[in-house]
Amino acid sequence: MQSPWLSVLSFLVVSTLVGLGMIGAGRVLRVRARHDSPLKVRPYECGEEPTGPAWMQFHPRYYLVALVFVLFDVEAVFLLPWGVVQRELGPAGVGAALVFVAVLMLGWLYAVRKEALKWQ
Amino acid sequence: MNIALALSPLLVVALGALLLMLAEAFSPRQGGLALGAATVLFVGAAVAGGVWMYGIERLPEAASLAPWLLLDRFGLFFDMLLCLGGGLAALLAGGYLVEHGIERGEFYVLILFATLGAMILASSGDAVTLFLGLETMSLGAYAMTAFRRASPRAAEGALKYFLLGSFAAAILIYGFALLYGATGHTDLAGIGATAATARTPLLVVGAVLVIVGVAFKVSAVPFHAWTPDAYEGAPTPATTFMAVAVKAGAFALLLRVLLIALGDASWTSWAAGWPPVVATLAVLTMTVANLIAGRQESVKRMLAYSSIAHAGYALVGVTALMRDPTQAGASVLFYLLSYTVSTAGAFGALILCGSHGREAVSYEDLSGLGRRHPAAALAFSLFLLSLAGIPPTAGFFGKWFVFKAAIDGGLYWLAILGFVNSVIGAYYYLRVMVYMYMREPAAGAPVALPMRSGYVTAALLVSALFVLALGLVPTRAIEVAVRAATLGAG
Repeated sequence: MQSPWLSVLSFLVVSTLVGLGMIGAGRVLRVRARHDSPLKVRPYECGEEPTGPAWMQFHPRYYLVALVFVLFDVEAVFLLPWGVVQRELGPAGVGAALVFVAVLMLGWLYAVRKEALKWQ
Repeated sequence: MNIALALSPLLVVALGALLLMLAEAFSPRQGGLALGAATVLFVGAAVAGGVWMYGIERLPEAASLAPWLLLDRFGLFFDMLLCLGGGLAALLAGGYLVEHGIERGEFYVLILFATLGAMILASSGDAVTLFLGLETMSLGAYAMTAFRRASPRAAEGALKYFLLGSFAAAILIYGFALLYGATGHTDLAGIGATAATARTPLLVVGAVLVIVGVAFKVSAVPFHAWTPDAYEGAPTPATTFMAVAVKAGAFALLLRVLLIALGDASWTSWAAGWPPVVATLAVLTMTVANLIAGRQESVKRMLAYSSIAHAGYALVGVTALMRDPTQAGASVLFYLLSYTVSTAGAFGALILCGSHGREAVSYEDLSGLGRRHPAAALAFSLFLLSLAGIPPTAGFFGKWFVFKAAIDGGLYWLAILGFVNSVIGAYYYLRVMVYMYMREPAAGAPVALPMRSGYVTAALLVSALFVLALGLVPTRAIEVAVRAATLGAG
């Protein structure tokens, strides 16, 4: 009766609903900008011009921030499967995850010390 | 605890790399990291040697990490080899970077992490860990290539290296994806078990892509185009590291793939397996690289082509795996060892011949060196003779064992082609010696002056010791290589 593809279908339905819901909620909940400045109605794009040709120079600081972001992004990616089986792994698993996080924190410490996160 | 002991070479280098990274960031004093990095790597080599002598077989818990990490004698051999090569590169960097005003601590941290990646690569038996090791190694090498930021040549070389290296990694991982699709396994042993029974087109395409990806990494012709530019643009210690450690790591990967995943008799037959493919790569690599190397006007670029040619000689031994995996595997391992110490020494001697403001690059820079700096000329000659394969040096026995493996495997024509090529190769190695001893610099022409550095001298002494020891008494080393190759085949 229950097809194995049901979960895929429900995933598609839920993800479509979430996506549409966010756009819809944005329409309903947005703060109505007073149209006194064109900047206020521009889409926000991390301080860059959101429109125009894509061949332009980015400030190198973006790469540093992006690299540090990837550090924690990937950390989360690896911690998720660990979290799923965490109970079965027991204390040794917690220890291993702590070592993993500690090594990444050293990378973060290095980035902070090298002032990679300072926006000059 | 026994797992930690089995992992200790990896752990030493990993902890050393993290500590050095923090020391570099937090220490108020700049410099002095070369000694730290070299110490960590030589300690790593010593620890690997200790585990080797204790006997990795006495640590049965180590097998629990299989297939992700195969902690065997094959891996330990490469741990020693890679730590030795990385340590020599770190010592050379200690002299070179200071002399040429690009001393930054990151270089040593990169060497440590890249060596760690190569060690993981050499010990991995699963596509996932293998790729992790490969990328850790490669990313470090890309960054080291671009280390001289202001130089357009370095940027060009690094960009080519990065792009082609990324393509190679993509091809490799696509090959493994197809192998996974065909067999349902990501571990090499599992792929091998299924590949032995049924051969599907998917499996063949996957295997070809994996071999092509590795051929990029060992810079076999026709996948070598990035090598000369990357080797020439990089600071010479980074070139040393790429020629020595990155190449050895890639050969470890190639040997593991061919022995474990494609080691079944149906794949190692000449008629229907990989040997003709590897043999073609070997012949092309030796011949093309040797012919181009003879035409170079820059000694550094000549050494870059020479390192491509040496990958070709090693591939001769890899082809011979089809008949006798143990003997042929051992010949490749011994070849890599002799190549590592000879190449590190040759690049080190080239570093020693230049000083601030003017690196020794062209043949003219070396003219009259025999009179101006006899010690540097003597050291350079020793390493060139070893690269040319002339006794009593390590290179002679390296070539001897590789060609002997080919002859024992019935590949007479391959051994003859290899021999002809080493005669061609002798031309451009001896040409350097002709310039050093029989030419004088042209009057008024600027010549590179030799530098003074304890680090570089130490690296040259260590390399020279290995070159002579392996050339005079190779028996012990070949025994070690045979034991390493025996378990690698298992």
